[in-house]
Amino acid sequence: MSLTERLQSLEHAIAWKGEIPLQSRYTLGLAGERFFREIRDHARLLATHCPACDWTYLPPRAYCERCLAELTEWVEIPPSGVVYSYTVLYRDLDEQPLDPPLVVAFVRLEGCDGGLIHYLLVEPEQAYIGMPVEVMFREERKGSIQDIAGFRPA
Amino acid sequence: MSEHISVYPGTPLKERDFAEGKVLCEWWVPRAEYAWDAGVAIGRFLRELRAGRLIARRCPQCRRVLVPPRMVCEHCFCPTSDWVYLPGTGAVKTFSICYVTWDMQPLEEPIIPAVIALDGASPGGGIMHLLGEVSPEAVRIGLRVEPVFRPAGERTGAITDIRYFRPIAEVNP
Repeated sequence: MSLTERLQSLEHAIAWKGEIPLQSRYTLGLAGERFFREIRDHARLLATHCPACDWTYLPPRAYCERCLAELTEWVEIPPSGVVYSYTVLYRDLDEQPLDPPLVVAFVRLEGCDGGLIHYLLVEPEQAYIGMPVEVMFREERKGSIQDIAGFRPA
Repeated sequence: MSEHISVYPGTPLKERDFAEGKVLCEWWVPRAEYAWDAGVAIGRFLRELRAGRLIARRCPQCRRVLVPPRMVCEHCFCPTSDWVYLPGTGAVKTFSICYVTWDMQPLEEPIIPAVIALDGASPGGGIMHLLGEVSPEAVRIGLRVEPVFRPAGERTGAITDIRYFRPIAEVNP
């Protein structure tokens, strides 16, 4: 037996439309709070260092992911690094075309074992893995990843 | 607090701390839009509501009359066969007296959502809706009710085309 009844006309196809009201507030945590305050107030990058593992976390962690020790040693990281990987975006989150396209890169920063994902402020054809770059801070900062405009060629 | 712990570790935050800018945070309002395909059975159910009628489906095997209507009987796993109009009247199966809205806003006048067992539907069949023209004190399980439809021009093919169910006036035999 099969279903014998089907929609006979397009206007009979009813979709129920709605919107779920959602709001989210993300707090940065103890280490994130200090990291972004330093960016906001002094346009500097801070990392935490684990002396036992000789590992420097950027973004900073309050606890070492390797030995679980509490990290209290804060070090300043120079705002320069190297493109580790990148991608070119031709569509935004709502699938609308982006013109010009955006380049997003993971940049490993000097003097630490981490890195940041942010915009790479170059034309897509100019981007390459291994490209030396530096952090470009905005003039007006309020304690957010948006305080960084992106990475530009060093 | 438990007997052994007087202070929990952590960083307690109050709403005031955000308002006064003591703590950094990221504020995000995601767009959670959706479109739910009503399908054949509920699609017809909603169109009939717009016309001021309630409709069900009958299973050819167990003979149950299913409302809300569905194209497959979940007991027999066979396609349902016929459309059946219902008179719309029914009885309160269960109800709740709500003094808060779904998003926790307090209500002066309570709303009374109820499951209504519709006449003509098999036991267990019925829909959830609001009760109206009845005080919270007067509601009881088994209360006979009828639908109050919106005026024809205001109906959109939605469950809210029925404004609410109200008690049927008692008629002396």
